[in-house]
Amino acid sequence: MTMTNDGASSPTTPIPSSNGGRPAFLPSELDPTVFDEAFLRQLERLLLLLRAPVRGGLKGGRRSVKRGQSVEFADYREYALGDDLRQLDWNVLARLEKLFVKLFIEEEDVTITILLDGSASMATGTPDKLQFAKRAAAALGYIGLASEDKVAISVLGGRTARRRTALRGSGRVFRLLADLSSIVPAGGPTDLVASARHAAAQLSGRGVVILISDLLDPAADRVIRELASTRSELIVLHVLSPQELDPPLEGDLRLVDAETGEGVDVTADLATIDAYRDRLVAWKDGFASLAARRQASYVDLSSDVPLNELIFAELRRRRVLG
Amino acid sequence: MPFASPLALLGLLFVPAVVAMYLLRLRRSETIVPSTLLWQRLAADVEANAPWQRLRRSLLFLIQLLLVVILALLAARPFIERPAGLARDIVLIVDTSASMGATDVAPDRLGAARAAALDALKDLPAGGKVSVIEAGRTARIVAAGTSDLARVRQAIDAIRPSASRGDLGDALALAQQLAIQSGDAEVLVATDAALAVPPTTRVYAPIRVLRVGDPKGSRNQAIVALAVRTAPSGVAHSVFVSVANLDLESATRRVEIWGDDRLLETRTITIDAQQRADVIVDDIGTATDPVGVVEVRLVAADSTASGRPDLLATDDRAWAIVPPERDRNILLVGEGDPYLETALTYLPHTNLFGLKPADYPGGAVRTNGTEWDLIIFEGTLPDTLPPTPILAIAPPKTSGLGEVMGTLTGPGIGTLGTDEPVLRYVDLSTTHIATAQKLTLPAWARTVIPGPKGAPLLYAGIRAGLPAAVLAFEPRESDLPLQVAFPILMANLTGELLGGSGVPAAAVKPGDPVALTVPTGATGLHVARPDGSAIDLAPGTAGGLSVTFTQTDELGVYTATPIFPPSASASASDRATPSPNPTPTANPSAGASGPPGGVGADPTAPIRFAVDLFDVDESAIAPGPNRVLEDLGRARPAPGASGATTAATDPAVGRPAARDELWIPIVLVVLVGLCVEWTLYHRDAVLRGRRGLTGRLRRPAAGTGP
Repeated sequence: MTMTNDGASSPTTPIPSSNGGRPAFLPSELDPTVFDEAFLRQLERLLLLLRAPVRGGLKGGRRSVKRGQSVEFADYREYALGDDLRQLDWNVLARLEKLFVKLFIEEEDVTITILLDGSASMATGTPDKLQFAKRAAAALGYIGLASEDKVAISVLGGRTARRRTALRGSGRVFRLLADLSSIVPAGGPTDLVASARHAAAQLSGRGVVILISDLLDPAADRVIRELASTRSELIVLHVLSPQELDPPLEGDLRLVDAETGEGVDVTADLATIDAYRDRLVAWKDGFASLAARRQASYVDLSSDVPLNELIFAELRRRRVLG
Repeated sequence: MPFASPLALLGLLFVPAVVAMYLLRLRRSETIVPSTLLWQRLAADVEANAPWQRLRRSLLFLIQLLLVVILALLAARPFIERPAGLARDIVLIVDTSASMGATDVAPDRLGAARAAALDALKDLPAGGKVSVIEAGRTARIVAAGTSDLARVRQAIDAIRPSASRGDLGDALALAQQLAIQSGDAEVLVATDAALAVPPTTRVYAPIRVLRVGDPKGSRNQAIVALAVRTAPSGVAHSVFVSVANLDLESATRRVEIWGDDRLLETRTITIDAQQRADVIVDDIGTATDPVGVVEVRLVAADSTASGRPDLLATDDRAWAIVPPERDRNILLVGEGDPYLETALTYLPHTNLFGLKPADYPGGAVRTNGTEWDLIIFEGTLPDTLPPTPILAIAPPKTSGLGEVMGTLTGPGIGTLGTDEPVLRYVDLSTTHIATAQKLTLPAWARTVIPGPKGAPLLYAGIRAGLPAAVLAFEPRESDLPLQVAFPILMANLTGELLGGSGVPAAAVKPGDPVALTVPTGATGLHVARPDGSAIDLAPGTAGGLSVTFTQTDELGVYTATPIFPPSASASASDRATPSPNPTPTANPSAGASGPPGGVGADPTAPIRFAVDLFDVDESAIAPGPNRVLEDLGRARPAPGASGATTAATDPAVGRPAARDELWIPIVLVVLVGLCVEWTLYHRDAVLRGRRGLTGRLRRPAAGTGP
């Protein structure tokens, strides 16, 4: 696959290999620590391995209610003056002596909006959660671009959502990667609800919203409610680092919040760690049930999950990917 | 609760220090986490739902505080007072006689006595003092007036049994000296009260007997006599053994005769209760198969039976030294005395020669160049006494052997000593003496047969390094030659003068001192004890001819080997006279002995002697009544009082109470507390380790799935 800056696509050809280090053709805007040669190869392979048709790769769970001109039958309607006679169902007319027209699924122009949580808490963990989020966003965005969908990146930070220009076509993948590379963590505290509300306001039409966040906000459930109340399909990728899933803490500690600087005194003995884990599970279950109620998809991930496992195991298993 | 060291409670000042350290420890290290959201909720849950969980974290702190308080209490030595059961000053006598080795109680009576003594001392009042006396053959103070009970315990534990008769009278006399200095004293006697000789010493303090031993523990048979004599043939020897049954029932035992560690003969005997049985075994040791040491063992009749045949093993073995086979040459200088000559010819391995006084050339050398083993002067004395053992009979004049003060007519025989070896088996009760010389006992001699008004009728000793004896009367001036006592007396007397070759080798009583002759040219004697230890003895003065060996507390055979300088040993061997049995014996009489093997014997040959118990009274181990000893004690009478004690005279009034310190239970509590603290402190680490191990074990099992 040869990428050109005008966005036009060409028959797929392999990405030229390098002798190590940064491939010569890669734009300098790409962050080599996030999007290295190995990752790019994974993206290449990802596309080859996806068995679902490229078109409509990110299916989501919601169908457009519009009736369009596709070949996929949807429903019947009584004939009204002005309807296209080519859509009359002659069989029904013969049987019932009534005029009905066929309705077909509208093939919409789906915009995939990837909301990246850029709060300071995302820049922690080993592996770094933000790095994982960028890679996940790159993979999902790449699938979207390859499916001829529009892909837009929006970064949640502070009280706003900074939306980048929507991209279309697989030729725009480097632009996508460059946009993701430019994302830096927010300097101060982030109001995730306000940012999500802002991002929701920026959505137009139906589409798919993929929220990649650690949801470490006291009102994170409202984030899901805000985003689920839009007309878009919501997919929540809840990312936590291994250290947050199983804290390697011991002894008497003062835990300091990376965003707010607030402290909590904790005696990290086994009982406390066990209680923390129970609390964590209950918290994630809360998000899962909320998402289910709002007909959204919820996937809880660890930042150390390999990319191909993310795509082919987690997302397929959760039916996020077709 | 009272405290022995209340100042130690100042240790409670460490409590604020522990609190301060705990508070300082609570400074927490800061750790940056992505978000404290879940931790805050967790902390809220803890606050809301489980307030006692905070307390659990403080449990370690509480335990540490408690340990500090307990340690301070421990250092302060709390105690509980109770009335003391003992006087303020205690004299503890521990009987270590041979009967205390009886095993009717575990481990033996002496072990039980030690335990009883330590148990009795628990009633000692605060500040009380204890003196400990070991009552063996002689009394010995092993701890003097100390209030340090650890030292007392150490002294008691160090007491060991002896193989001899104990002397509680000596110990009570010592206790009296210690008790008389105190106004509130008591004597404790840990003993089996199986007293060979009941003491009569009075003590001005109450005596309490801590009796040990089974009241029915009398099962014991003992070897009470062992003698080895040369057979009439003069070639072999006969062994005479006497075994006593001190039990109340008859007993069957087997007597084993060992010669130089070889079993020679066994006899099975049955002895009635409280009776003796004698065993005589002939043909022990010959010229071609000589035996130097005879050992007799009293063992179980049934060799397959397990367990001890009786309760006291000490008296089940005895030893005797076989007298050496060497002809002795005796010169009799006198006008002739057929009775004397006859008695002397009865002596085995003895050649008797006679000379008239006028024909006596003087000196001790024979015509063939050898020396006389003994010269007997009857009714005469040369001007110069020869350097040889001498027996002077009725010396006519004062000489180096003693002073002649006159004559005695019809002298009576005084009270004879029971331990005098020369008088063993000699009965002089019907002896009458017509005339005798009136002698003065010289400094070098001991009286053997006392006469009237202190004038000895027979005395013996070591004069100028050589045995000598003086008999005050000629045998024919008495009816002694007509009595069986005469040849026995002559055999015993010549045996002492000749070094015991012609008489049974007499055993030494345990603890008795033995005078050993140092051969000419030797610098001392190397004495080996039965337990293998050895002691080197040197004469008190350079060139001294004898040493006294006192460490005869063990039963068995002792061997004294002369120590020669390297240059002298060769010449000493040159002077040796060959003899068929070059093993002379010492003569273990009380403080006197003859030269080893007599003059002319091999000076390098070792001297051997045996120490045996042979004490019927000590072998009668049945415990006796306490009152025999307790009646010897009495309270000190108040001056002018009729005997009734009043509050003013009763030493118990004003006596401090006994204290039971509580350190043992406190230490146990501390140990338990430390274990709990360790468990609490490391609980997390242990659980983490266990989870990690479990996780590692599960991972391979999970990986094997589809």
